[in-house]
Amino acid sequence: MLGYIGRRALLAIFTVWAISVLAFVIIQLPPGDYVTSYIAQMASMGSVVTDEEAENLRIQYGLGQPIYVQYYKWVKLIAQGNFGMSMEWRRPVTEVIGERLWLTVVVSVSALFLTWVLALPIGIYSAVRQYSVGDYLATFIGFVGLAVPNFLLALVLLYLGFTLFNAHIGGLFSPDFQDAPWSPARAWDLATHLPIPALILGLAGTAQQIRIMRANLLDELRKPYVVTARSKGLSEARVILKYPVRVALNPFASTIGYTLPYIVSGSIIVSLVLGLPTVGPLLLKALIAQDMFLAGTIVLLLGVMTVIGTLISDVLLVWIDPRIRLEDT
Amino acid sequence: MTQLWRTPRRGTLRSRLTIALLVALLTALVAAGALAQGKSALIGKLEGPEVVADPTKFPKTFKEAPQLTEQVKAGKLPPVAERIGQDPLVIKPLHEVGRYGGTWRGGFTGPADFWNGFRCCSGPDHLMFWDYTGDKVMPNLARSLEMQDGGRTWLVHLRRGMKWSDGKPFTADDFVFWFEDVYRNKDLVPTPTAAMAINGKQGEIQKVDAQTVRFRFPEPYYMLPDVLAGSTDLAGQWGGYKGMGGFAPAHYLKQFHPKYVGQAELDKKVKEAKFDSWVRMFLFKNDWALNPELPVLSPWKTVTPINTPTWTLERNPYSVFVDTAGNQLPYIDRVVLTLAENLEVLNLRAIAGEYDFQQRHLDLGKLPVFIENQAKGGYKVYLDPGDYGGDMIIKFNLNYDADPEIAKWFNTADFRRALALGIDRDQINETFWLGTGTPSSVVPADSNKYNPGPQYRRMWATLDVRKANEMLDKIGLAKKDTEGYRLRSDGKGRLRIEIMTLGGQFVQFTQISEMIREQWKKIGIDLVVQEVERSLALKRTAANEQQLGAWNNDGSEHLFTFPLHVFPFELAAVASSGPLYVKWFHSAGTQGKEPEPRMRELMDKWKKAFGVPEKERIQLGKEIWKIAAEEVYIIGVIGMGPASMGVRVVKANLGNIPSRQYNSPDGKTPGISRPVTFYWKK
Amino acid sequence: MATLVLPVEEQRVFVASQWQLMWWRFRKHRLAVASAVVVVGFYGLVLGADFLAYADPDASEAQRSLMPPQSIHWFDGRRFSPHVYAVKGARDPQTFKRVYRVDPAEKIPIRFFAEGFEYRFLGLIPTTRHLIGVEPGLDAARTIFVLGTDVQGRDLFSRLMYGTRISLTIGLFGVTASLVLGVVLGGLSGFYGGVTDTLIQRVIEILRSIPTIPLWMGLAAALPREWSVLQVYFAITIIISLLGWTELARVVRGRFLALREEDFVVSARLVGCSEMRTIFVHMVPAFMSHIIAATTLALPAMIISETALSFLGLGLRPPAISWGVLLQQAQNVQTVAISPWLMIPAVPVIVVVMAFNFLGDGLRDAADPY
Repeated sequence: MLGYIGRRALLAIFTVWAISVLAFVIIQLPPGDYVTSYIAQMASMGSVVTDEEAENLRIQYGLGQPIYVQYYKWVKLIAQGNFGMSMEWRRPVTEVIGERLWLTVVVSVSALFLTWVLALPIGIYSAVRQYSVGDYLATFIGFVGLAVPNFLLALVLLYLGFTLFNAHIGGLFSPDFQDAPWSPARAWDLATHLPIPALILGLAGTAQQIRIMRANLLDELRKPYVVTARSKGLSEARVILKYPVRVALNPFASTIGYTLPYIVSGSIIVSLVLGLPTVGPLLLKALIAQDMFLAGTIVLLLGVMTVIGTLISDVLLVWIDPRIRLEDT
Repeated sequence: MTQLWRTPRRGTLRSRLTIALLVALLTALVAAGALAQGKSALIGKLEGPEVVADPTKFPKTFKEAPQLTEQVKAGKLPPVAERIGQDPLVIKPLHEVGRYGGTWRGGFTGPADFWNGFRCCSGPDHLMFWDYTGDKVMPNLARSLEMQDGGRTWLVHLRRGMKWSDGKPFTADDFVFWFEDVYRNKDLVPTPTAAMAINGKQGEIQKVDAQTVRFRFPEPYYMLPDVLAGSTDLAGQWGGYKGMGGFAPAHYLKQFHPKYVGQAELDKKVKEAKFDSWVRMFLFKNDWALNPELPVLSPWKTVTPINTPTWTLERNPYSVFVDTAGNQLPYIDRVVLTLAENLEVLNLRAIAGEYDFQQRHLDLGKLPVFIENQAKGGYKVYLDPGDYGGDMIIKFNLNYDADPEIAKWFNTADFRRALALGIDRDQINETFWLGTGTPSSVVPADSNKYNPGPQYRRMWATLDVRKANEMLDKIGLAKKDTEGYRLRSDGKGRLRIEIMTLGGQFVQFTQISEMIREQWKKIGIDLVVQEVERSLALKRTAANEQQLGAWNNDGSEHLFTFPLHVFPFELAAVASSGPLYVKWFHSAGTQGKEPEPRMRELMDKWKKAFGVPEKERIQLGKEIWKIAAEEVYIIGVIGMGPASMGVRVVKANLGNIPSRQYNSPDGKTPGISRPVTFYWKK
Repeated sequence: MATLVLPVEEQRVFVASQWQLMWWRFRKHRLAVASAVVVVGFYGLVLGADFLAYADPDASEAQRSLMPPQSIHWFDGRRFSPHVYAVKGARDPQTFKRVYRVDPAEKIPIRFFAEGFEYRFLGLIPTTRHLIGVEPGLDAARTIFVLGTDVQGRDLFSRLMYGTRISLTIGLFGVTASLVLGVVLGGLSGFYGGVTDTLIQRVIEILRSIPTIPLWMGLAAALPREWSVLQVYFAITIIISLLGWTELARVVRGRFLALREEDFVVSARLVGCSEMRTIFVHMVPAFMSHIIAATTLALPAMIISETALSFLGLGLRPPAISWGVLLQQAQNVQTVAISPWLMIPAVPVIVVVMAFNFLGDGLRDAADPY
């Protein structure tokens, strides 16, 4: 067991390194650099950047150097616990990401929570009453969430919120609480802003979870022990909930690892539309601006989260289900 | 939605008809009235506050905001008269003297949106500035400007007793510091600016006495007042982020400069503050939007910087601006700009009335939604059309050489003119400008002093399909293929040209180009529309890969400070008329490619204008526009429209708001309306 | 001696082929069957897009800008005579909205199989016949607006037809690429195990850890400029599929690992079949059904990705027409507030994605036990 964990951990480190290289390369792929993006951005807003100024900027940011030099610089900084300066924000990357990161987690966890609250009952019902009208209806509702283009839905909800409820537009806080220090009032303000983003983000994942739950439960329900339990006289509810559901939940453990980074990156567009101060829109803007250290750090972060998540899932799975251990060794 | 009209019974038909006729008549009258008013009730009359130049009319006693009075009482601030000095900058408010208090809320899009703050809240802190018509240059932070020695020397007289926001005096030393230690330091400013030079030769700044600064140039530099007034590198402290501005707070910045602190000591500071280099730290410290500790001269100063979710600015107790009653300006205590992650959210917030005065980033296409929600949001909508000829223009890249056939046609004037005649501008105006623009050639508004005359407004800028076809037939493109597109003269098939556009701008370049593509089918031209990312556009343009480029020419109304969209002036451009010409122009002929005769003529006139008196310069300006309109290097599509920062949303109870502003980057609109005079009526 | 004789139908169960069994199970899932019909219907639409459209999708006209959907009146008195009313409009100088009035006096009859703009049916046969149209002399583009018009005055219904064609076909290529990669790499991984397996698994893990959007952006921006919009998008779908194959590969690998030890595979090897033959003739058909199901489920993901990419400005761009482009043009406040009919393209997206999902589910359910 320990050997297995050790090996996986080693491989994980290698994966993380590979991700860092890949991340850097990808960010550099679009032509131009931060300065060209900056000039274009200025041009869009009606300002002119003279060639001299552009040249000055390039020299100061060290953008003329080859990519591996810049990569090496970055890795050196990371080793010192410093993730570099964001060119666009003129602040250390850690500060820029700072508060947004855990807000992202809050939003993602809320979305996840909503997903499970919706998906599990529907999945169970669907499996138990397979091919019934209820099954179809339930899966239909679940799948609508998957099919609706969520950015459009987000915009519509934003507008409706304003016209019907005079709600404050977008964001996770009311203007008064945006910069205020933490307090119960601020936490409550956050909570009131969470439902719409959580709903839109959570809907898409619902269908997938319904499907998995349904399939797993169906597999379990066909097993002999269920027939035994029923014949022994247990009520239907106990028959289903006591054992099969718990077993069917096992594979969920294996997917936890992937869900958080999936939700973070899957939520980029919706966060952008809703104007949420999360990591997604930050990454998008950093990519467009070619703000290397900021974009690279976020991508690396997401990658690391995935790798750690996978590691945890794999270990969990091996721990829970001994059969898999045999297969892998 | 569609309405169904049911035919009423015959008896009431006549009376209903009469009523309908009366209503129609009334509507026609109202509409005519609205038209007479300048296209729409949303476009008002150009107006703005005036700077009082006559010292005898200055107020004798001064008043200040209540919270400042408290501080004076507590001994934290000197009395107001001492803070302002002996030469206040007196502004007569547009409508009435206002009252103190309140917060101004607005929206910004991120750390790259610093122009947002420069425009609304920097004063503006130019030494000279425009009057509200954008036409006349007048003293601003400088008390006066004196020309000597045939234009070679200019004396800037400062205001006596004027102070930085931390109470230290603002003197000629701040100019010398900037010139010697910032501008001339090759690390801070590797490449000098053209604003400080005449005919390529750099000038210098010297101290005459504490209140007088001398700008000296090797040749007459008549344009200097305009340069000091416009948004150029010499225009004010807002330019500090790139090491420009003309002056800088010496007493504060010296601690970050190796000459005064020593390199070793400085390196230690740099490391502690986690900067890459002392250069980056210095420029950061001199950044008006980023450094709350930087002493400033503007009426508001940054309190929480632009790289946070809320950019807050608060009143500067040492502000030199006062109104005619002696009240120290600004009236409004704070400006709070909140971050909007994307433009739709920003616009939606403006629609919802979450902003008090917002002019930036508002989308003309949403105008009906803005109007619809005026009552609910408690605001009023205004339109400020620009004075430049091209809210949308199309540039021909005259240097394009990847395809000699296309290069040939781009350099044929009649080809360009014919294409210009093939555009149905009324359609485009109605669809994308909602009818508020003006179909036009590239020349600026009639009221602009460089306008060459009304006959140039529609020169080569009408819809004349017949003539366009004739012209194209005549120059050698008469042969067409089975679908009606013209064939190349070199026999290689259909003539296909490409236009590069950017998405996500104030103006819908891609969609408009799509429309033009349909329109040019009628003259047999096959246009391919390619929308690209911003950086990609820049790269391709600079590498001479662009054929046609769609953009706007805002700023060109100030032809001499913003020539970028009149002739190829910068390599770093989203659309260019000729990158090789840019190189030729800036290298005095040693690099690049020599422009064709008329373009050369245009460039020569432009260069000459800096060194001649105003009257001659105006004449040169007119001639430049004449050439531009005749040669059609750039096709003007729709001009003088409000698409680019011309949609303004203002809360109904804000006072001293002009009904129309001069919309120009040089005017730092709304800076030109002196936001220091805005106040909350209550 | 009486042996138990089962009814004919049940006897058939014992001799039925694998596919027939699948089909019988599939039939039970009624929603899946209905979805199959829907999907087939949509692809029929793909073929007949030009026929169903009645207006040139690029014909713009400012005076027709932002027209709301027009009602078709089916009866004129008692007679069945579908017609629409003429519509005129202008911009209201106060509200700046375009206001349209219907003129009930002017009736414009709709004809079926009418003549309209020219096109090539199935890309081959030049013709001018469309499903609906108006009398010769009138232009359908100026008169019929079943779903309204966009800001440039272009008919939304016709654009939607063309958009459907592109959206439904482009996804197919990407999915095929995913399929090939997934089966091959997953198979190699599962069949050989060991180092190959570990290597491929690590690659999969790396690819899955990278957020897709940066990858899209980087790769999209790196494509050569000479490519047309369609070619660029084609390349992008391939790129998406380069990430999408991982899921299929894992499934295939799992299957291979399980099947490797099965009797029929061992006996095939013992008999002397080459590895290739063993894999493709014996093993792959065993989980073919899974592959079909996975592919069917990959298509809706492709479609959703297309809309997301277009939103970011990376996917198809105007003047190309696709669902993503149409939705991107509707993604603004003025559409939601004033011209909501422009959001109608979301409906076919929802319908098709759901249909494919149900279909895929049904296929997978049907394939499962076998």
